Amino acid sequence: MLREETAKKLREIVGEDYYLDSVEDLISYSYDSSVVEAMPEAVLLPGSTQQVSAIMKVANEDEISVTPRGAGTNLSGGSVPLKGGVVLVLTRMNRLLKLSRENRYAIVEAGLINLELQNQVKKEGLFYPPDPASWTVSTLGGNVAENAGGPRGVKYGVTRDWILGLKAVLADGRIINAGGITAKNVTGIDLMSLFTGSEGCLGIVTEITLKLLPLPPFQQSIQAFFPQMDATSKTVARIIGSGIIPVALEIMDKVVMNMVEDSVHIGLNRDVEGTLLIMVDGEEATCKQQMSAIIKICKEEGSSDIQVAKSAKEEDDLWLARRSAFGVMSRKKPTCILEDCTVPVSNLQAMIRGTSEICDKYNLTVGIMAHAGDGNTHPMIITDKRDKEEWERVEKAISEIFQLTVDLGGTLSGEHGIGTSKKPFLPLIMNEDARRLMVEIKSVLDPKGILNPGKFIE
Amino acid sequence: MNEKVLKVMEKNRPLLSDVTNEHVYHCAKCGLCLDACPVYREMLTESYSPRGKVQLAKHIIEGDIEITEHMSDILFSSCLLCGSCVAACPSGVRQDVLFSSLRWRAAERHGLGFTKNLFFQVIAHGWLMSTSAWFGKWVRKIFSGPWIESRIKFGNLPVDGIPPMNPKPFNDEFPEIVRPEGVVNARVLYFHGCATNYVFGDVGKAVVSVLTRMGVQVEIPKKQSCCGLPIFLSGDRKTALTCIKEIVGMFSREGVDAVIVDCATCGSALRNEYVHILKELRDLGEGVDDDLVNSAEYLAGITMDVSEFIDAHCDWLPEFHPTEGEKIRVTYHDPCHLVKGQGVGVQPRHLLKLLPNIEFVEMEEADRCCGGGGEYQIEYGEMSARITNRKVENVLKTGAGIVATGCPGCSITIGAHLAKDNVKTIHTVQLIQMAMDGKRPE
Repeated sequence: MLREETAKKLREIVGEDYYLDSVEDLISYSYDSSVVEAMPEAVLLPGSTQQVSAIMKVANEDEISVTPRGAGTNLSGGSVPLKGGVVLVLTRMNRLLKLSRENRYAIVEAGLINLELQNQVKKEGLFYPPDPASWTVSTLGGNVAENAGGPRGVKYGVTRDWILGLKAVLADGRIINAGGITAKNVTGIDLMSLFTGSEGCLGIVTEITLKLLPLPPFQQSIQAFFPQMDATSKTVARIIGSGIIPVALEIMDKVVMNMVEDSVHIGLNRDVEGTLLIMVDGEEATCKQQMSAIIKICKEEGSSDIQVAKSAKEEDDLWLARRSAFGVMSRKKPTCILEDCTVPVSNLQAMIRGTSEICDKYNLTVGIMAHAGDGNTHPMIITDKRDKEEWERVEKAISEIFQLTVDLGGTLSGEHGIGTSKKPFLPLIMNEDARRLMVEIKSVLDPKGILNPGKFIE
Repeated sequence: MNEKVLKVMEKNRPLLSDVTNEHVYHCAKCGLCLDACPVYREMLTESYSPRGKVQLAKHIIEGDIEITEHMSDILFSSCLLCGSCVAACPSGVRQDVLFSSLRWRAAERHGLGFTKNLFFQVIAHGWLMSTSAWFGKWVRKIFSGPWIESRIKFGNLPVDGIPPMNPKPFNDEFPEIVRPEGVVNARVLYFHGCATNYVFGDVGKAVVSVLTRMGVQVEIPKKQSCCGLPIFLSGDRKTALTCIKEIVGMFSREGVDAVIVDCATCGSALRNEYVHILKELRDLGEGVDDDLVNSAEYLAGITMDVSEFIDAHCDWLPEFHPTEGEKIRVTYHDPCHLVKGQGVGVQPRHLLKLLPNIEFVEMEEADRCCGGGGEYQIEYGEMSARITNRKVENVLKTGAGIVATGCPGCSITIGAHLAKDNVKTIHTVQLIQMAMDGKRPE
């Protein structure tokens, strides 16, 4: 529990209704979509940047840990309050503050839900590309903190690529503005990059200015089924190598597809070893040209069946299936460990094959899914955390998968962040001086170490 | 046995059955239910979300926390048991099963409150209901009037928008067996539920009229009790069990083609809820045997919503002839217990599109909860109103003059809130009846 005088000050800032400390509320903010859990001492739901700033002043003075949180859908434990203290929830700050059609940008509060923004800008003929699988619930502030990606990343990149400016509250309550609303901006150090993906360890982003695109006039998706898994990654490498940039290029293996079909019943082919989901967008004629080139490559690589989505509904079904893939894995066994290893596209085949071999060696069930177009694999190991013996095997397998990633020139996380779960593996990828630099940067911004303590910068 | 021993035994008695418990462990905490939940979307607070309550359930089951009064309040006030989270859950977690079981244990600990207790005793016993219906009508007659009605509100429900009671219970208006003229295509049992019996008699009449003209013999068993759903969702499984036993005994009958239900909520009780409640009570040794479970499973298998049955046999429908005048714009609201509970959504739309005189328009978020949730709107008026307002806005945006739906609960909620806008709420089957009669909906 917080000291009464601290609690009193915090209550005064957010108001009684938005200071929660019943055991039920504390439990409800003790987890995110990862397996890590830890109880906070209080939960605050501020309504403005000013309130966030006032909270940080109190927290800094009284040395209270603060873990910022959006919808709590991250997969790396980033929003779990490992050292207790308060969880600072930004879901109430969910306004779209400004939408400029002529300059193509939107200013949003951190708690606005990704899909809400997508729907709002679509009405104006505009488009916000990053589309994490959790987009129906995840907040844009959370997307910035984790530098979230999504299937459309192949063509459109990740959240960082769409940020023009932001407002952040520092550990001592100071408010800073970074960037602006212009398309080009090299004024000063790129502070946006510093905060993006910092997982709430350097400051709390409360407002974001996002770059938008004109809504592409046409999009088309296909699903290609392959009798061998290897053929899927080979096809991906060929498509990327051919110079076509699809919007999304996803791989799902037989295990994932069967579980997805159990959940959504959209008639996925249960017998093939692998499938590719591919989307292109742009002018209709160009899309059709690109799609026929893609279909040709798929056929040459032995695709046994290619289905073209014929309506918006069929497109939606295909992508809904992909977005629910993490959740569906929990049908067979309760715990699903979803990793995020990313390798150069040309090494994708070796990565997927190696991951399967490691899981076979430890006798684990793994479903393989990948944002294949950017080499971002999502192996999902299903287990039951209550089964200690199996859990040990899972941990061994994960270490080996990380080592394999590094051997193949890859990195630990493509879009989910390091959080707590991948922290021990950082030395595989960053040398000591680089890690020390991160700690030094944090110590300047957060000298008392109150922002999201226990996470990857330590 | 001394008190201490009893207490230890009580403590070691399992709270929920193993099957129910397992649901909490299959929650991947992915959070996709947050968007589906009408309450979370208004509150944006995790403890009000389905995921939050599943995690709380885990802590309760594992004995970390008790079902405190606050917890009990969360279970009741933050959930309409609409099943939206169940429909959205990729992991197949049955939050409805879990939450309704926990409500049972919460009600055991903290009681139901006097009004609910009385109300449930009344609806669980048919004769009490008809007496009280008469009483309710009398009260309304004595105390009603434009002045007082516009000032009374039951929670979120404007009283002047609530439809009046049937002059006579629906069940008394028909013989037990209504035969069609000519060839008999099918034989069905009709479970009409309390709403049709006491309030929406016209819906019942439409069901009988449409089905018999399709060549269906309709049998309407006498002395049908409440389906029990409002009772067990409030946690009173003991009273609900008497209803469930009666209904299963009366309707789980071989040799009929289907049991027809016109109410989304009753339908989902017969189809979805009975079996898991009975299994849990059986597994916990609470006086339910395998025979009852088997009969309930059989009943679940033959129960059909009326729109689903008519659609499955739409070749038995006579040809409709359009009448003079412009088409009337109709939109459709998906009752949660129909679209999420029973997977029925395509069928009523298909039927509406068959009807002449009707221009069908889809509203935005047609499958979002109306905020009613039976007595939820009365007890938690403020939250209910926020959800209802969204539904009302979506209806008004279509410019429709009629909202078709398949649930008396939704009809009351939506109807009461749209009365001032001159938009009518009507059961799908009533529109079919009008088309058969060559009448235009007004």
